[in-house]
Amino acid sequence: MSQVAAVRKPSRPVIGATAVAEAGATDPPWLRARRDEAWATYQATPMPSTRSEEWRYTDLSRKLQLDELVVAHGDRGPGAAAILPDALRRTMEQDRDSAARIVDIDGKVVSVELDESLARQGVVLASLRDAAREDDGDIRRLLATRAVPASDGKFPALNAALWNDGVYLRIPRGVRVERPVRLSRWVSRPGSATFTRIFIVAEEASQLSFVDEILSPDFETTTLVNTAVELFSYRGAQIQYVSLQRLGRGGFYLANQRTLAERDSTLDTLNVALGGSVGRVDLNASLLGPGAHSDMLGLYFGDADQHFDFNTSQDHVSPNAHSDLLYKGALDGSARGIFRGIIRVHEGAQGTDAYQTNRNLILSDDAIATSLPNLEIEADDVRCSHGATVGQLDAEALFYLMSRGLTRGKAERLVVLGFLGEVLARLPMGGVVEKVTNAIVAKLRGV
Amino acid sequence: MDDAPILKVAGLRAKVADEDLEILKGVDLAIKPGEIHAIMGPNGSGKSTLAKVIAGHPAYEPTGGSVYFRGEDLLDMEPDERARAGVFMAFQYPVEIPGVSIANFLRTALQTRLEDGEELDLFDFQELLMERMEQLEMDPSFAQRPVNDGFSGGEKKRNEILQMAVLKPALAVMDETDSGLDIDALKIVANGVNTLRRESPDKSVLLITHYQRILNHIIPDVVHVIVNGRIVESGGPEVALELEARGYEEYRKAHAA
Repeated sequence: MSQVAAVRKPSRPVIGATAVAEAGATDPPWLRARRDEAWATYQATPMPSTRSEEWRYTDLSRKLQLDELVVAHGDRGPGAAAILPDALRRTMEQDRDSAARIVDIDGKVVSVELDESLARQGVVLASLRDAAREDDGDIRRLLATRAVPASDGKFPALNAALWNDGVYLRIPRGVRVERPVRLSRWVSRPGSATFTRIFIVAEEASQLSFVDEILSPDFETTTLVNTAVELFSYRGAQIQYVSLQRLGRGGFYLANQRTLAERDSTLDTLNVALGGSVGRVDLNASLLGPGAHSDMLGLYFGDADQHFDFNTSQDHVSPNAHSDLLYKGALDGSARGIFRGIIRVHEGAQGTDAYQTNRNLILSDDAIATSLPNLEIEADDVRCSHGATVGQLDAEALFYLMSRGLTRGKAERLVVLGFLGEVLARLPMGGVVEKVTNAIVAKLRGV
Repeated sequence: MDDAPILKVAGLRAKVADEDLEILKGVDLAIKPGEIHAIMGPNGSGKSTLAKVIAGHPAYEPTGGSVYFRGEDLLDMEPDERARAGVFMAFQYPVEIPGVSIANFLRTALQTRLEDGEELDLFDFQELLMERMEQLEMDPSFAQRPVNDGFSGGEKKRNEILQMAVLKPALAVMDETDSGLDIDALKIVANGVNTLRRESPDKSVLLITHYQRILNHIIPDVVHVIVNGRIVESGGPEVALELEARGYEEYRKAHAA
């Protein structure tokens, strides 16, 4: 990710009605109508400003000029998979075991590989664009309606209007996919705006893990990647979703993620933010049935002027559900980390177990961490806790490690890795731990 | 055997780094290879400060005198350089390092002792670690636990001895390693030190303690009494026994500030 891509002249439409029409050109009528509706919602919704609590620390008026972006349509053609960028190929080669693999370049799926035995068991993995065209009924019912609808806000509306492609994954009842399904994404165009959707349904008692990794070169101009993630776990199902955000500098990563966990299902997420200049993730976990469980993990490591903003909510709609959030971040240089989280225990959600922890490690005088945990409880028989810490490298710990022969740099590296590693240890997915650890070590070499 | 001292402390003065509080007021000490020295003293006498100044703890600032280790000026070296040169301090209060396993920590510590480009043999390392843990009656699962995280007091002290046994320093400074240990744990710790010495008779030990008890298990060559930042008496093991019988009170009176 060291090369800097050159700025090109816009050859595609800017964000506007024309782009919406173009995005929906090959869509079935119901989907075109949904895009138009979303576009109307987008236009009617004011741009979030720092006056709103949820955007107080991320000033879009300074960080994102939407009208300067060019909408990416990923027009590389069908042969694109054969000429994958080296950086993407390298990271894909590190993924030793995969049940399935899907590659997306500039917002368009260029290849889908699915283990044949899984296909025989009824697992469906496809480009979302293709899947929507052949709609199985569920897409029409659920896409941008229940999880990340346009009505959720400015960016959910924009994504619902402009999404170009994405992932459709369905695991049939009782099928357990042991190895991860991997999405490898690459963004190449400076100044582009990519709109992608990830739509995953795990039917009753099925199981899957999904790794969504995104990379790009460094950009001289702000380059937007907007992702809407809709995850549905039906009764007794298990989903683990991991996002590895490794964009180059100049990247602006903006994700709206929603997990809907039904009775006795498990829906865990891990958001890893390492790259880009700005990363903003809105994650809502809804616990919709008794016995539902969501582990919500986050890891961020910012340096230079990187800015990471996480806005999470844990919605306990049903009684007797469990959610446990742990977000940990290390911040160096003049990086900024913001965590704002809320646990909402709805009326009647008795027997709720909900926890929320955010811990920050500050590595330089200019780095800033802001942590805003919150609780909103409308039931009386619940166990909830929230906690936040912002601390510096412990001088005593550094001395301890140095007294065993480790240089200051090595000692710092070990403390930071240990601190962040706690998050990875909670979701030890094949390849993810090594990959994230290596990426952290690479960033730490500058410390 | 070379008769030159491995550690030579001369007229050492030191204060708390952030305050104008002098703690060491001229300490003289010479330890030869293979010798075990014990330093005994009451609370506040400066015995732990001496250990920390030797190890390079940033909370203390040397203000005079010198410390030479194998002829090198120790006070001029960073803590990690001192460690790689062969100085080890067993902490009185070992520090918790969450998320870093003992195995990973020790592997990294050994790796830093190798030349650039030289790689630690992981098989040999594993073998050494397991052998040392067995000697210290530690369960093998210990190796995967985060350093001192959630350890009991006794486990922490044992972990210090484990590190010493793996790193095999030329000079081990033991800062009140015996405090807070029951007799069984004390024997295991003493056994760890004695094993190291049996394997390499030229290893030196500076044992800092409040109590005579541990000296029944690790027999010192020389016992020093430190009071108010100065060594006021040095002699054989009998000094410790006298001290145990008479207490620190008369030393304290004789050497009041």
